[in-house]
Amino acid sequence: MAERVVIAAETTWSRRRRRLTWGRVARGSVPYWLILPVLGAIGAILGYPLYRLFRLAFQHYGLEELIRHSGQPVGLHNFGHVLHDQIFWHTLVRTVIFTVANVGLTMGIGTLIALLLVRVSTVVRVLLTAGLVLVWSMPVVVAVQVWGWMTNYQNGVVNYILTELHFGDYFQHNWYGSTFSQLAIVTTLIVWGALPFVAITVFAALAQVPADLVEAAQIDGAPPWRVFLDVTVPIIRPVLLILTSLSIVWDFGVFVQPYLLIGQTHITPGNYLMGIYLFEKGYFDNDYGQGAAISILMLLIVATLSIFYVRKMVRIGDVD
Amino acid sequence: MVFPVFWMISSAFKPTDQINSFTPTWFSRHPTVSHFTTAVHTPYFWTDVKNTLIIVSVTVTVSIALAFLAAVALAKYRFTGRKLFIVLVIGIQMLPGAGLIIPLYVTLASYHLVNTLTGVIVTYMTIVLPFSVWTLRGFILGIPKELEEAAMVDGSTRLGAFVRILLPLVAPGLVATSVFAFIQAWNEYLYARIILASQGKQTITVWLSYFLGTSRSTDWGALMAGSTLTAIPAVVFFLIVQRRIAFGLTAGAVRG
Amino acid sequence: MRLRVFVAVALTAALGVVAATASASVDRHQANKITVWLQVDAQSGWPDVVAAANTQFQADHPGYSVDVQYQNWGDHLQKFDATLAAGNTPDVIEMGNTEMTKYMAAGAFADLTSLKGTFANSSNWLAGLAKSGMYGGKVYGVPYYAGSRVVTYRTDLFKKAGITKAPTSLSQFLSDAKLLAAKNKQKGFSPVYIAGTDWYFAMSFVYDFGGQIAATSHGKWVGTLDSPQAIAGLTAYKSFWKAVSKASPTTDENTPPPYNVYSQGLASAIVGPSWFSCCTGKTFTSITGQFVMPSHVAGKSIPGFLGGSDLAVPASSGNKALGADWIKDFTSTANEKLLQAKGNIPNATSLLGNSVNERAAARSWFVPAAKHWVDVENGNILRNMLAQILTGKQSVKQAAENASSNIALVLNQP
Repeated sequence: MAERVVIAAETTWSRRRRRLTWGRVARGSVPYWLILPVLGAIGAILGYPLYRLFRLAFQHYGLEELIRHSGQPVGLHNFGHVLHDQIFWHTLVRTVIFTVANVGLTMGIGTLIALLLVRVSTVVRVLLTAGLVLVWSMPVVVAVQVWGWMTNYQNGVVNYILTELHFGDYFQHNWYGSTFSQLAIVTTLIVWGALPFVAITVFAALAQVPADLVEAAQIDGAPPWRVFLDVTVPIIRPVLLILTSLSIVWDFGVFVQPYLLIGQTHITPGNYLMGIYLFEKGYFDNDYGQGAAISILMLLIVATLSIFYVRKMVRIGDVD
Repeated sequence: MVFPVFWMISSAFKPTDQINSFTPTWFSRHPTVSHFTTAVHTPYFWTDVKNTLIIVSVTVTVSIALAFLAAVALAKYRFTGRKLFIVLVIGIQMLPGAGLIIPLYVTLASYHLVNTLTGVIVTYMTIVLPFSVWTLRGFILGIPKELEEAAMVDGSTRLGAFVRILLPLVAPGLVATSVFAFIQAWNEYLYARIILASQGKQTITVWLSYFLGTSRSTDWGALMAGSTLTAIPAVVFFLIVQRRIAFGLTAGAVRG
Repeated sequence: MRLRVFVAVALTAALGVVAATASASVDRHQANKITVWLQVDAQSGWPDVVAAANTQFQADHPGYSVDVQYQNWGDHLQKFDATLAAGNTPDVIEMGNTEMTKYMAAGAFADLTSLKGTFANSSNWLAGLAKSGMYGGKVYGVPYYAGSRVVTYRTDLFKKAGITKAPTSLSQFLSDAKLLAAKNKQKGFSPVYIAGTDWYFAMSFVYDFGGQIAATSHGKWVGTLDSPQAIAGLTAYKSFWKAVSKASPTTDENTPPPYNVYSQGLASAIVGPSWFSCCTGKTFTSITGQFVMPSHVAGKSIPGFLGGSDLAVPASSGNKALGADWIKDFTSTANEKLLQAKGNIPNATSLLGNSVNERAAARSWFVPAAKHWVDVENGNILRNMLAQILTGKQSVKQAAENASSNIALVLNQP
């Protein structure tokens, strides 16, 4: 291929350059230059907010303090208040279960779709991926409106279809009547919205699996699922781990979908998720100190939940 | 799977009474483009589309470029502070976005970046960079070693070889990450809403929210039409780049 | 390949510069400008009023421009909080009347007491609205407009059921509803569609029977929904609702909007703001009328919730006098009359006309003037109470007692 020729030519050119001694010094500092832009961008914008957030967690900061631009230090009072709140613990358990369900469904179904994409012809693949991207490109705010509308108990099309297909009498069935039902619909919406990302990313990872390795295993007579587990998964494992850890992080702190779909008027401590709990306590009640404390607690909890996947990811990189 | 999208698009063409009807119509017998006309003629539609395009393209291009560099560093080099950098990258994503809104707004105000496109761009970059670095690192790690070592034999500098050899191999990963970054930025609502105040400067997601904001009736037809329109660029962008993913698939088979 | 990368980077840099300069050039500190936050209702409902105010303002202050930024009810308070933290608040802000107290107590607004006389008809301001703009004896908010609740009904269905005139008492309405139910037996039809947790409507019953939501006693708030009068009101609401509405007991008054149910022919009457008549569907527009919701006392109207907005000047604004002046121009008599023509209730009793909307405001109630009232609303305490009562999960007395203690807890926070 043309690129190979270009590469060969350019390598000889750069070999001559290597004699400069500062080249060797620069090589040692190369990684630092590479990460500097990212560090700089994040630091410049998030540096002060992060510092502020940590300070806020140890202050009493309500609406009056917000207007006066100064709070009163209260030590660990905010944290104590949150940790003694029964609602916090119930919400935590509920959110963990919710996260496990969402991540499991997303990764499972997403990987299946990716495997399907590999096997079909180009035309079908383009159609399928276009469909996935259509789903993906719906703004969340709109997706929530459409789903809310579809599951509306009065004129929702879901009730209509289910009744027409004789699954039972779903005439004016209220999908938001119970906490379980509410969260189930939210889960469906979130998984539906997350599938395209997982499917397309896993598909891209599968593209990096050398076909000859797969063929060799198949020629050896291994059944498809064995081929998948022994050949494919080790190669795409980094991507799978990343997606799982990202999904855990996002699903644990999800806010927009449940808040908009269930609606502010139906949000009660009985169906709080952590993201909503943070918003209600921090913003609606204007207790920013408590909001900051909850944010930090959420950070610690999510870190604990995803530590398994993250450490695996880091270790993979270490085996060099 | 695609049914909600179909529902959105078909509703965009239905006359209003069919939209609100309690018995759904699948395909309207009297399709109308009046909702699209309403949507397009709503003030600031084209301005907001332009704003969103600027914000998203700058965010994605700059972020992917910077993230790729950082991902190479993380995947291929051992250096002190590496673990710390990883922790930082992951840790930032674990912070609930809602918690940072007010401190972030105050910071942007001190830089005079409130109500500017630049302010939104730099904010979006902090959202997009962490997972891009993280995801690209995974893709880079997934490249079989034999292919890299082939380039090392030529004696080129490590960095040069990595970049030149890696880029085509990691292209599918780059594309997938760019698409996701694009859509993440395109769909973002919370920060855009808070940072951008004047209507001439807003993004398309904020523009859409105006259809829902009144205490009066929601114009569903116009909302569906507007949403359909906002979904188009993402689909177009993807169709353009999707060949690269497929190319990566066949190239992997050829290279062997 | 390299060239392509280079071009891409250069393009991006160029775009970035364009973006930065575009924003910077527009945002160069414009000294002669005031910023006004109004809700989107003004943008879609009465843009001419806004334009008139701007014209008047610019005539009085040549060289000044007005930047009106429209907000959504859902997040305008969070945005306002952000500007309060950063110190770049607008110069005028529209606030819902139930949102005012919390912010007044926190010192967010400028004291307009000395300027009260400059606002048109200020000596006749509607009591309910004016009260919402006062705290500690000082004026912080100028009444903008109000709306109350009326019954929107199908004239043809009422005629067919033999009802010749609007009911003048609750019991009359109840028997009318039975007639309507007898003549309209289709599935899901409500003689009067009322969302279960529509607390704005349900609390009217409480006030009608002489109860109230909360009151102060020795400087502390006490929830009073468990008083005998309030319980009588809630019981009346429960029996009325069960007889006339087929809505789900846990739904609110926004999903679905009652006028949607009405436009599908599944309700012969709905209760809500008078502008509901806008959206009753093509088929029924000509056979729709409105009347005032009657009290349980014959001949009187039930106390209606007076919803509405106030206009305030944030204390950290750099243009307080100008902001107040804009408010004066916006709430001029001429503009209030324009608002009235669009179906709103103007802000002064001297301007009141005889529309159904305005007659319904003759008896009204308002939420307790407590700093933390907004938290009671956000915590859905009243909605939950109604849901428990209507689903039968709790008796009226139990639910009322729970709600009362919750309300007291929330209102008595420091």
